[in-house]
Amino acid sequence: MSSVFDRTASAITGLLLVMLIALLLLGHGMPVYLVNLAGQVMCFVLLAMAVDLMWGSAGILSLGHGLFFAIGGYIAAMHLLRTAFAATHVLPDFIQFMGNGGFPGWWALFDSSLFTALAVLVVPALAAFVFGYVSFRSRVNGVYFSIITQALTYTAMLLMFRNDTGFGGNNGMTGFHAIAGLPAGGGDAGVLLASLATAAVLVCLIGGRTLLASRFGRLLAAIRDDEPRLRFLGYNTLWLKLVAWCLSASVAGVAGALYVPQVGIINPSLLDPALSLEVAVWVAVGGRGGLCGAVLGATLINLLRSWMAASAPLLWPFVLSLLVLLVVLALPNGLLDMRNRSRGWMHSLLPAVGRPRP
Amino acid sequence: MGFALVGELLSSSDGLGRQIFKSGSLHAISAVMADLIATIVLALLLSGMVVRVARWLRPWRHDLSRCHFLSRTKVDAMRTLTRRSVIATAGAALAAPAIIRPGWAADTVKLGCLFSSSGTMANLEGRMNYVVQMAAAEVNASGGVLGRQIEVVTTNPASDWPTYAQMGRQLLQEQKVAAMFGCWTSVSRKSVLPVVEQNDGLLFYPLHFEGEENSKSVVYLNSPPSSSVLPAVDYLMSADGGSAKRFFMLGSDYVWPRTINKILKAYWAKKGIQPSAWQEQYVPFGFSNFQNLVNQIRSFTSAGGGQPIVVLTVVGSSIPDFLREYTNQGLKPTDIPVLGLDMVEADLEGLNTEGLVGNLNCWAYLQNAPGPRNQAFLANWAAYVKKSGAPYRPDVAIDPMVSAYDGVHLWAAAAKKAGSFDVPEVRKAFGGLTFDCPSGYTIGMTAENNYVSRGVFIGSVNEKQGFDVLWQSKDTPKPVPFSES
Amino acid sequence: MRSFVRTWLAGGLVILLLLQGRAFAAPAASMSRTDVLAKLCAAGGQDVPSALRQMLDGAVDASAADRDWAKRVVQGFSTRSLRCADDGSAFLTGPGGAVNAATLAPGASPDGLRAPLPSLRTRALLEQLDAALTLFVAPAAADRLAAVHTLERRGDGLPPGLLRHALDAEHDAQIAAGLRGLIVAAGLHSPDIPERLAAIHALGRDPTSQVVTTLATLRADPGYAEPPGVAAALDQELTQARWWVRIGDGLSLAYNGVSAGSVLFLSSVGLAIIFGLMGVINLAQGELIMIGAYATFCVQQAMRSVAPSMLDWYPLVAIPVVFVVTALVGVAMELLVIRHLYRRPLMTLLATWAISLLLVNLVRVGFGTQNLEFQTPSYLTGGVRLVGDFLVTWNHMGAIAFALAAFAVTLALLRLTDIGLFIRTVTQNRAMAGCVGISTRRIDMAAFGFGAGLAGLAGLALSPIYNVNPTMGTGFIIDSFMVVVLGGVGSLFGTAVASLGIGLVNVGIEPFYGAVAAKVVALLLVILLIQRRPEGLIALKGRR
Repeated sequence: MSSVFDRTASAITGLLLVMLIALLLLGHGMPVYLVNLAGQVMCFVLLAMAVDLMWGSAGILSLGHGLFFAIGGYIAAMHLLRTAFAATHVLPDFIQFMGNGGFPGWWALFDSSLFTALAVLVVPALAAFVFGYVSFRSRVNGVYFSIITQALTYTAMLLMFRNDTGFGGNNGMTGFHAIAGLPAGGGDAGVLLASLATAAVLVCLIGGRTLLASRFGRLLAAIRDDEPRLRFLGYNTLWLKLVAWCLSASVAGVAGALYVPQVGIINPSLLDPALSLEVAVWVAVGGRGGLCGAVLGATLINLLRSWMAASAPLLWPFVLSLLVLLVVLALPNGLLDMRNRSRGWMHSLLPAVGRPRP
Repeated sequence: MGFALVGELLSSSDGLGRQIFKSGSLHAISAVMADLIATIVLALLLSGMVVRVARWLRPWRHDLSRCHFLSRTKVDAMRTLTRRSVIATAGAALAAPAIIRPGWAADTVKLGCLFSSSGTMANLEGRMNYVVQMAAAEVNASGGVLGRQIEVVTTNPASDWPTYAQMGRQLLQEQKVAAMFGCWTSVSRKSVLPVVEQNDGLLFYPLHFEGEENSKSVVYLNSPPSSSVLPAVDYLMSADGGSAKRFFMLGSDYVWPRTINKILKAYWAKKGIQPSAWQEQYVPFGFSNFQNLVNQIRSFTSAGGGQPIVVLTVVGSSIPDFLREYTNQGLKPTDIPVLGLDMVEADLEGLNTEGLVGNLNCWAYLQNAPGPRNQAFLANWAAYVKKSGAPYRPDVAIDPMVSAYDGVHLWAAAAKKAGSFDVPEVRKAFGGLTFDCPSGYTIGMTAENNYVSRGVFIGSVNEKQGFDVLWQSKDTPKPVPFSES
Repeated sequence: MRSFVRTWLAGGLVILLLLQGRAFAAPAASMSRTDVLAKLCAAGGQDVPSALRQMLDGAVDASAADRDWAKRVVQGFSTRSLRCADDGSAFLTGPGGAVNAATLAPGASPDGLRAPLPSLRTRALLEQLDAALTLFVAPAAADRLAAVHTLERRGDGLPPGLLRHALDAEHDAQIAAGLRGLIVAAGLHSPDIPERLAAIHALGRDPTSQVVTTLATLRADPGYAEPPGVAAALDQELTQARWWVRIGDGLSLAYNGVSAGSVLFLSSVGLAIIFGLMGVINLAQGELIMIGAYATFCVQQAMRSVAPSMLDWYPLVAIPVVFVVTALVGVAMELLVIRHLYRRPLMTLLATWAISLLLVNLVRVGFGTQNLEFQTPSYLTGGVRLVGDFLVTWNHMGAIAFALAAFAVTLALLRLTDIGLFIRTVTQNRAMAGCVGISTRRIDMAAFGFGAGLAGLAGLALSPIYNVNPTMGTGFIIDSFMVVVLGGVGSLFGTAVASLGIGLVNVGIEPFYGAVAAKVVALLLVILLIQRRPEGLIALKGRR
């Protein structure tokens, strides 16, 4: 248990718990945009954790998690559009101008919230399975795997940008009416979604760390360190990797499904390879492995970004790129590295005056 | 570092006191708290980073000191310099928001801007911030609105559609703006739409678009297709316009081109033109290789059956890419003219327009619109660019700029008429408003919908990367939000 | 379809009637300058076509002075330098001051004059009239030849005798031949059957889809094809022309594919060195291309101010400059960042991403976000038509040639020089290379610089084809990586084959399913192919 809850993990879990309770108790009094911001950041944290689950433990970097994020988002959006249609009887405009008289028949499935919730978990995992199976079987790995996942997201983006694909093209899906009975975009829905996202992060953090501390987690680490040897010892690494990969995709799908109702729109820009790459950047800045770094990195960069977007928007790309360069060069394993100094990480924050030279 | 931090803390607590005094609400407290926490976390983080970097830089000193041409002292000086400049930059980054944070004053009313100054839309949208500020300055110079001066709050949604919604929410809830001016693409408008509707805000949208929408929370400053595109196509089908009989529709794959083309096809069908006389093609955003498509257009040109034209609804960087290939493959406006519905002066920058002279566009304002009001507007803009140091050409004015300019004045007039800044009151005052637009037309609004009736211009590309006014409508056609089909 | 044919029949008849009518009409008197100018200046522009007609008809018998005058007025009118005063006088403005449009005598023009704007219909007439006048007045043979080519497109409704007059006055053999061709082609509607047949065969000699349309329309006209021999001649030429057009279409598809492939190759050859040979995932590759394009721009601006007469040759001057500049940027990247990360490939990915972000924003701050204006050299504009509608455009030809040159030079460098040998050695076995005394660090730096320089040259070559702005690089990166991975890492031949293949597949699918589908299919194909052959098409044997 001690490896599941080391000092950092307990601190982060505590903070998240406090935040969850604060949201539930005080959320209704807070400005909606702040609650929304918190909720969105939590969704990105979840996405970063999904990436870290693969990268940190098995050493497989996915530059295509935007795909699973978007799948979850599109599924949620389809459900919301169906419920909006049931309430208002107005067809979404992309269905109108493509000349279709109504929703495609199979969309009726998404009337059910239970089915939608299942689909959010299963469909990204299925997509991940198909792609993962062919790739892992032909032993595409390392950098090549990263590049191919990136190309896959890019392809999906091109596909979704087409209006003929049937998901609204560039304009995407918008015009959600109600979320679980609460008016979309209102304070109540915001609090609900933000608390859900925070809870999901908590569950994923605890569950993920437990999983990584288990035998399965150790096998993943073994894959990262020397996959051929593990294979030689008689383990079927294909299925080990696949399970982790599908799990990670599901988590990303959940993140997407919680993200889309909060921003009120989904369009293929979520599939932009740049977003998927940035998720990897969050993880790298926070520190790979153990999921804590992912939480830290995603939270910090996203807060910093939304703060700078208001105050110094043109400076932001410079700050981000310099931050990444510094982290990559000076802190090989991200901000978590600060913790591993011999005198503890709090010490390293103090001025270097009077400290003996190494 | 310390100074900046203290400054930030001071300004925050100062703001805190004033905000509680002003509104006394929990909102303000939590907003300031969030700012405070962010500042402290950032400061800690950055100082940690600086220390860490300094430590990491240390080994480099040895490398440097091995260089013969650097004396020991010089190396030390360099090192401190680096360190100091890192700290200075960090301090500047922290101090920046304190300077930029808008002040609270009782005698101002706020207008918000939702235009990106970074990302793919920056080149087009960025200039809009300045136009709104210029118009606000004009209103302020003439005494403001209801005794208050207008204060423009700008944001940067960074060309990211969900961010438009987030920023819009902040403008409405945190800044309490009386109205917003913003969005360029349809998708960004669609993203903000639910936000303005739920918060009962007001968004002035300056672009021509696909129509089929009439929200009470949006003022559509530019024309829907039926009152802008159809007159232009009518002109091209007249004897003077070359009696166009066949149409090659080439567009970017999204709602605006598709809706326009759908309306056009219905219009032609009504005129008895056979579907064999048109062809429809869509390309993705940012598409650049038009070799094949221009090939297709060449064979379309020579297929016979009457004068062909290209109805071009591609947007963004695809426009100059298309035009370049069009000239390159030897197509001429006299053989197959291009009606570029989204083409503006900025798209011709960087092109040799000699082979393009005669191609057309269609907007509710052209820079060469006749009349003293336009001269005055252009002179004002040039002066404003010079004064504010905006990174845009002082000698280029495009339709959306004028639309946003009109929007500010229309809003001011509506608020004056209503005697209030409350959105429902202002909205009620829209019916019957008029404004003398720089285009030379007197534009107006009716109580019927939130559209502004504008004139129509057809422009013809000239050698100077601009557009001459080839045709203009007699008056301002009544905007029809929804197409009939 | 039926009504379509009927419209055409009617149209053809009208043209025939017009032609006949003109033959009987008395030739117009020499053009009256004031009359023409008054019509050109008339408000509303309704009279402009008749004024132009008057000038065209008058051009046949006009004096040299009148033709000269007409040419100046026509040019003034099309460039809007013809200004009309309200009292009916008109002026031609120009850099050297204004002249009276009727007398061409210098005279100050009053302010506030109206500049009539030619309508679309008028522009077509202006083009024809300008070409017709050029045949008589232009001193340069090249101008007259260009006029002949214009009249090949716009030969309808030329007054009879105009071409013969021009031919009589012509002494350049090539232009005369062109004029004769025009005269023969003008006989298409002649009542004289042999003349008609000659015209039909003349048309068939240069088959384009335009020709096919014309012939097919005539063939469908029972009145026209009635005389003996005409129908057979039409059929024969039509079948042949259709064949040639089809061949031309196939060729242009192949040409487009090859040129798209060479663009891909150019943008990925630098990456093939950096990623393929060194294993560094350089996400800033696209930005190096962008920097190359910006360096080209700087060279162009420098030449514009220093040697404006040599401006056309700026791409040649830019080659070494661009290479050196981008190579230096690459070396700086390698020294400052990448050197420290060789053992952590996924970290280089993030670091180079940060660098690309930094470069884009630095350029944005320095140059702004707008597209840069490039003066396309005259030898890279336009093209030449070969078979059917197959047009060889010079800018794409330039890209192909540049890609070939880049391929040859890179290959030669890798295969024939010492440094190439070292690079290959380090690629195959870094540790062993180090053991035998190769400074692997220095080789890494050189290879990175070389790869970056190649990317810069790609920017130079792509500047006439693409829009140059700070974000132009992002569009290349995924395609380039796919090319390199598909081709087989470390294999230059593989890169060439892969880029050609992707280009051809892309362009081949595009006409049928649209550009997006083409790209999607190409990418999916590549992803599948990599699953089948993880090592790429051409695998390099060796230890890595």
